[in-house]
Amino acid sequence: MVSTLWSNAVALAQQPPSPVQPIQPPSGPSELGSYLPIVILFVLAAAFAIFSVLLGPMVGPQRKNRAKTEAYECGIEPSPQPVIGGGRVPVAYYLTAMLFILFDIEMVFLYPFAVSADALGLFGLVEIFLFIATVGFAYAYVWRRGGLDWN
Amino acid sequence: MSAVLAAAAAEVSTGEAIAFWVLGPVALAGALGMIFARNAVHSALWLVLTMLSLGVMYMVQQAPFLGFVQIIVYTGAVMMLFLFVLMLVGRDSSDSVVEVLRGQRLWATVLGIGIAGLIVGAVSRSLTDVPVENLQQQNAGGANVNNLGKSIFTEYLFPFELTSALLITAAMGAMVLGYLNRHEKGMKRTQKELVEARFRGEYERPSPLPGPGVFATANSVATPALLPDGSVAPESLSRLIDSTASETFSDEIKSVAGTEPGPDAHALTPSTKDTSTTDTKNTEDTEETR
Amino acid sequence: MTRAELLADDPLWLILIKAVVLLLIGPLMTMFMVIFERKVVAWMQHRPGPNRVGPWGLLQSIADAIKLPFKEQIIPTTADRKVYFLAPIVSVIPSFLAFSVIPFGPQVSIFGEQTVLQLVDLPVGALVILACSSLGVYGIVLAGWASGSAYPLLGGLRSAAQVISYEIAMGLSIVGVILYSHSLSTGDIVDAQRDGWYFYLLIPSFVIYLISMVGETNRAPFDLPEAESELVGGFHTEYSSMKFAMFFLAEYTNMVIVSMFATTLFLGGYMAPWPISLIGDNYLNTGWWPVLWFMGKTMLLLFVFVWLRGTLPRMRYDQFMRLGWKVLVPVSLVWIVVIAGIRAFRNEPNISTSQILVFGGVALLVLIAVAMLIPDKRARAEDEYLVPVTGGGHPVPPLDLEVPKPPKRRSLSEAKVARKPAAVPAGQSTSDTPDKESE
Repeated sequence: MVSTLWSNAVALAQQPPSPVQPIQPPSGPSELGSYLPIVILFVLAAAFAIFSVLLGPMVGPQRKNRAKTEAYECGIEPSPQPVIGGGRVPVAYYLTAMLFILFDIEMVFLYPFAVSADALGLFGLVEIFLFIATVGFAYAYVWRRGGLDWN
Repeated sequence: MSAVLAAAAAEVSTGEAIAFWVLGPVALAGALGMIFARNAVHSALWLVLTMLSLGVMYMVQQAPFLGFVQIIVYTGAVMMLFLFVLMLVGRDSSDSVVEVLRGQRLWATVLGIGIAGLIVGAVSRSLTDVPVENLQQQNAGGANVNNLGKSIFTEYLFPFELTSALLITAAMGAMVLGYLNRHEKGMKRTQKELVEARFRGEYERPSPLPGPGVFATANSVATPALLPDGSVAPESLSRLIDSTASETFSDEIKSVAGTEPGPDAHALTPSTKDTSTTDTKNTEDTEETR
Repeated sequence: MTRAELLADDPLWLILIKAVVLLLIGPLMTMFMVIFERKVVAWMQHRPGPNRVGPWGLLQSIADAIKLPFKEQIIPTTADRKVYFLAPIVSVIPSFLAFSVIPFGPQVSIFGEQTVLQLVDLPVGALVILACSSLGVYGIVLAGWASGSAYPLLGGLRSAAQVISYEIAMGLSIVGVILYSHSLSTGDIVDAQRDGWYFYLLIPSFVIYLISMVGETNRAPFDLPEAESELVGGFHTEYSSMKFAMFFLAEYTNMVIVSMFATTLFLGGYMAPWPISLIGDNYLNTGWWPVLWFMGKTMLLLFVFVWLRGTLPRMRYDQFMRLGWKVLVPVSLVWIVVIAGIRAFRNEPNISTSQILVFGGVALLVLIAVAMLIPDKRARAEDEYLVPVTGGGHPVPPLDLEVPKPPKRRSLSEAKVARKPAAVPAGQSTSDTPDKESE
């Protein structure tokens, strides 16, 4: 049964793009042109942000003293070795970031699947189930070893 | 505008050329900046720039899904991991000059030349042998993601399932490298255990100490808070502030009265028995003297 | 003509107008949200809220906005200056860019030009928003790091870990919507909801999205990065003046973005809600009217944000991460498999009911097996030494507790004695509890 599903799916995938699509006019919208508005918005947003950040020192008062420019630690003397210098950040953050990559990749694979799920049919379902189950295995392992616990 | 773009669509459109000549130098600058930046976090940021321009280049080359995935996965997740790791090490930790791996430079040179050769080979081959495809027909009507999904889940099924194996390896590697068994003895209590211990009475009180009465009656943190019945809450005062003021005051009293104790034999060693008079006990003092 | 074609025909001046309007939405909504939030929270707490500037204090946020640039900007000496300047910019730009793919309305005519109320309609629109939010995290991490101070660094890391954790849940909750709409384009997602909005068709996805959108924007009850009692102001402790304003702007703009995205994904986007859609052959769903419905739905979600803030206490960090990683992620994965399965079986013509039942049984068995794999809580092992909180050493009031009478009001002279400052000359005590300072 799987083999028939497979052949079905391959046949589906090798079909030329469905005949509905060539509504595209010959001088139709260039794909590149559709990004132009985003570029314009980016330029405007960047100009706004940079202008705002530069505005502060231009119009604001400048009355600095040593106490003001010290790192804020609730009024007590700043610790001579701030966390950044000698201190360490808990390793749990590293684990979280690693798990984030793992699930980010899984998520990214799920999108094309979700878009073409109906075309792929049952065979696609079996595949994606295997995929989720494999990642789920890694997830269960991390859970079991306590990698998801914080304190 | 679209007419201009469409007119030049034969080989490389103007828009694509402009995009390339903007993004290419930016990507290159990011790569160079990564190598030459002194600070590790700055290096990572330069690399982010390179990744971003690569992502945008994919979009320019008619691969919008790939482009955004590049931004989401590489700049969003992978570089974030890099930043976390760099912060784990600390900002000011300077590069170690001592070589830990023996012959590291030699191998780095050899492998570097090898990779450069591979890249040159691949690029030259792609310039001559690989046919140029215009994906406009394939991508029409937003079918980019759909076609991608179909080919991943049929033609490239095996590499796809291999990816999941890779992900498992990554997760286990991370666990092995970064794992701390928090439930062994001597480890810090978790927040939950701490809360339960507080309510079981293992600590002095379950709640945080009350804040001082700064805004209630005065403008100073040396003012104690008042409890609902009007009495003073001595624990609301910071020991630090309280004792500093009172210590100075009592020292001044002593020096004015001339009863200051002269240096004794232990003056140069830290006092051990005398601590009860200085800082820690002031909270109780207040109650008793009142 | 399709959306993409209409948009591609936009002349440059129209694109510029749209871009400027989108750029203004962020700051305007931020200013509106500030006064809205303060007024609503005040109303929930029986206070008047801001009431000095303008009628009913409505101009308060304008006053705030004018005040901020005129504040002194202080850069700590420990800061890494380049990155310190970069961080607010990095956090604002992506939040503005995310507006570009939000569909505000259908086809309208602006100065005689037929267009759609949307800046671009990319085939991967939903990914644009996810990409923007993953870039926005850089602003937070870099701000925390560049300040060169302990509290911001911890706040920044917490924030980043929180945002990326909830981004997973958010991204997975979207998969359900895509399964139904067959497209990542935001415009198509709205169009696909003509027959029914996804918030009731895909309730689990909607709930997961709502929770993760609050976590993603660092809002109460998940506002741990700004836990005042632990971390002062979080990652922006060392920022002042306009640079602080940029973070503030980014935070509120992100709130607006996730609300608009939720509207697009689950609440039918700009389409008129049910009873209104019946009026005059759906007349109110054409022209400029849909902008009203869209903004109305967005405001509803923004009100939920404020409501949550006024209602719920802040969560502990470990509870919060547990909710994200151990509840939302597995639930969304299982849910994705379930809906993908339902759709696949329903669309397969040559599969009989008995086969579906067999497959369902197998799937159920696998699910049970997976459920067995999930480890139990360790509480069972701990039970042996776990003292019940109510019966143990901690003072718990007895059931027959007699409430002591409240003390009588003291006379003025007594009260004065009581209020005497507590700073007393040291050394007079004969204290008996030597470890008062265990905290």
